[in-house]
Amino acid sequence: METLMAFLTVFLDPELLILVAVGTFAGVYVGAIPGLSVTMAVSILISFTFSWEVYPAIALMIGIYMGGVYGGSRTAILLNIPGAPSAIATAMDGYPMAQRGEAGTAIGVTTVMSFIGGFIGIAVLALAAPLVSDFALRFQPRDYMLLAVLGILLVGSLSQGSLVKGIFAGAFGIAIGAVGRDPLTFAERFTFDLRIMESGISFIAVMIGMFGVSEALLQLHHVDRDAVRQKITRIVPSLATVRKHLPLSLQTSTIGVVIGALPGTGGDIAALMAYDHAKRVTKNPEVPFGKGAMEGLVAPETANNAAVGGAFIPMITLGIPGDAVTAIMIGALFIHGLNPGPMLMIDQPDMFWFIVGSLVAANVFMLIFGLTGIRLFTKIVEMPRSVLIPLIMLLSIVGAYAVNNSITDVYWMLGFGIFGYFMRHYGYPLGPVILGVILSRLLDDNWRRAIISEREDLGRFFYGVVTSPLSLVLFVSVILIFLSQTPLWARGKTRIFGHREGSTPQ
Amino acid sequence: MDLIDPDHHDGTSDATPGGEPTHRRPGEMVFGLFLLGASLVLMWSAYGISGFKALSAPGTVPMATTAVMVVTAALVVLRTRRLPLDTTETVAKDILPGVVILVAALLVGYGLLLRPLGFLPTSALFLIVAIKALSRRGWGWTLGVSLGSLLVVWLIFRIVFSVLMPAGIVPEGEIIQVFRDLVGGSA
Repeated sequence: METLMAFLTVFLDPELLILVAVGTFAGVYVGAIPGLSVTMAVSILISFTFSWEVYPAIALMIGIYMGGVYGGSRTAILLNIPGAPSAIATAMDGYPMAQRGEAGTAIGVTTVMSFIGGFIGIAVLALAAPLVSDFALRFQPRDYMLLAVLGILLVGSLSQGSLVKGIFAGAFGIAIGAVGRDPLTFAERFTFDLRIMESGISFIAVMIGMFGVSEALLQLHHVDRDAVRQKITRIVPSLATVRKHLPLSLQTSTIGVVIGALPGTGGDIAALMAYDHAKRVTKNPEVPFGKGAMEGLVAPETANNAAVGGAFIPMITLGIPGDAVTAIMIGALFIHGLNPGPMLMIDQPDMFWFIVGSLVAANVFMLIFGLTGIRLFTKIVEMPRSVLIPLIMLLSIVGAYAVNNSITDVYWMLGFGIFGYFMRHYGYPLGPVILGVILSRLLDDNWRRAIISEREDLGRFFYGVVTSPLSLVLFVSVILIFLSQTPLWARGKTRIFGHREGSTPQ
Repeated sequence: MDLIDPDHHDGTSDATPGGEPTHRRPGEMVFGLFLLGASLVLMWSAYGISGFKALSAPGTVPMATTAVMVVTAALVVLRTRRLPLDTTETVAKDILPGVVILVAALLVGYGLLLRPLGFLPTSALFLIVAIKALSRRGWGWTLGVSLGSLLVVWLIFRIVFSVLMPAGIVPEGEIIQVFRDLVGGSA
């Protein structure tokens, strides 16, 4: 009964409900406008809402998150420019559909499928999180440490980029997180004897720089690109269409939830993997993939919204973010004095059910806003980038300043913005940096706890890893990710899968 | 997985982090070497925290992570060196075009002027110059759009989020008080 009340909190409080609605609405447009990403929006927003109560702040962020993951598909379909990273795969078949004059159908299917995917993700979250958190109580410090390492590695290994660069980015993030006085011994770390470094680098400054300013700088390359107008007619898809793609959408939602729930990897990676999956299982698409296949829309859009629910599972139960946005939300919870982890579910189950309720509300709003307001949409998306980019930068500066009223944070933010710009150009993923910054403390604390409890003996530490099934699984996964980069693995893979993969037509 | 390159090797997300897998982009080697150098400095600094005193010492995790940074940065440099240079791109055109340098300079200028001048004048200057340079439209349009959007931003942050930016030379507090008195007086 209490659970139900906590779940319904958001629906019974008009203020919270409006905040979720406003967030979702804003999210759809933030997601749709190329150059504005959800990660950017949430990282800027966290600095403005930190003086609020925790419920309204979370409600707003969840709305933006849910709406933003969906919103990217709009511009992907209409302009062939993914509005948000999670819509990269959507453009491949959505835009050809729009070129054939089926933009309305494409948007309609996308919206309904995002809704279905979103719900599956939330359902899995509601069912799995309590179980995971019960289980998580038995986690040893070393397991947390291994999980954190695994999360940082996963982004690099599941994406299309290079794992080595991913590992570098993750390690760099951990180092940033370690700057300042060590909380346990008060020793100075990476301060170079400078006073301003003693209190550490504000993770909000790092996030806004990496996801706000660097993205805006990157968008300067495309200032002159014009928007394309499209006439949109029928939007709501027929029941037959939905039913036809339901089996595929269930499969790709599963991919989405799993990828979302893995620490570190989020909707963008889920969407690409789901697209790949759809290509493999759809034997005879009506239209070939890449030319406007409906399956090519269904798969990434269900997966990326399903990943939202999935990403909350490790965040709430373990305090380990499921993706970059939940990494930022962990930061928001810290600011509000909450400590995500297995104890959160026990001490404050209300918080968890409030998040689930807000996600449900956001998902419903997403469906409503997705199927209406197309005309307003085309107006907003046509906002010229020459205005948009300076405004994003202004917001980034205000956001970085607002948290601590500190101009130093603004300098850090600008520095990381310019650094992140180069990282993007040369193929270094940014997600692991943020993950590293957020997980640095957890990693360090748990390592020290683990090794002290083993009396500073590495042999005993590894004996503990090998004899505990959970630690062993985590440890083997970490090792496997490293092995997957060596030539040995590639040779083994061709021996086992060689014939099948080689015969797949590309 | 097929390689998807949505936006000219610019990293738009973690799934497609940009860069070119088969070529070396202009300046990539310099960046790689810079990272290697920075990692070495950080590793030296990490060693200075507590040395090899104990496994649970405050310097252990920093030393391990910076060691990982050095190794991976070195690997990246070795791999990058072997790749052929992408001759279709230049630093001036594809990596650091003039417009990026200009805006980056404006941002640094903003950071320097924010405290002495205050939020409103600095932001107005920044928006006017940036929007004028990017849009290349008339002064009337530029001024209207920049000052209009600045007003909206200021109202939202000052009123909804109650963020206090450095006031500088504009007596913000007094202006708001005047409006409060007006509203309060008429109610």
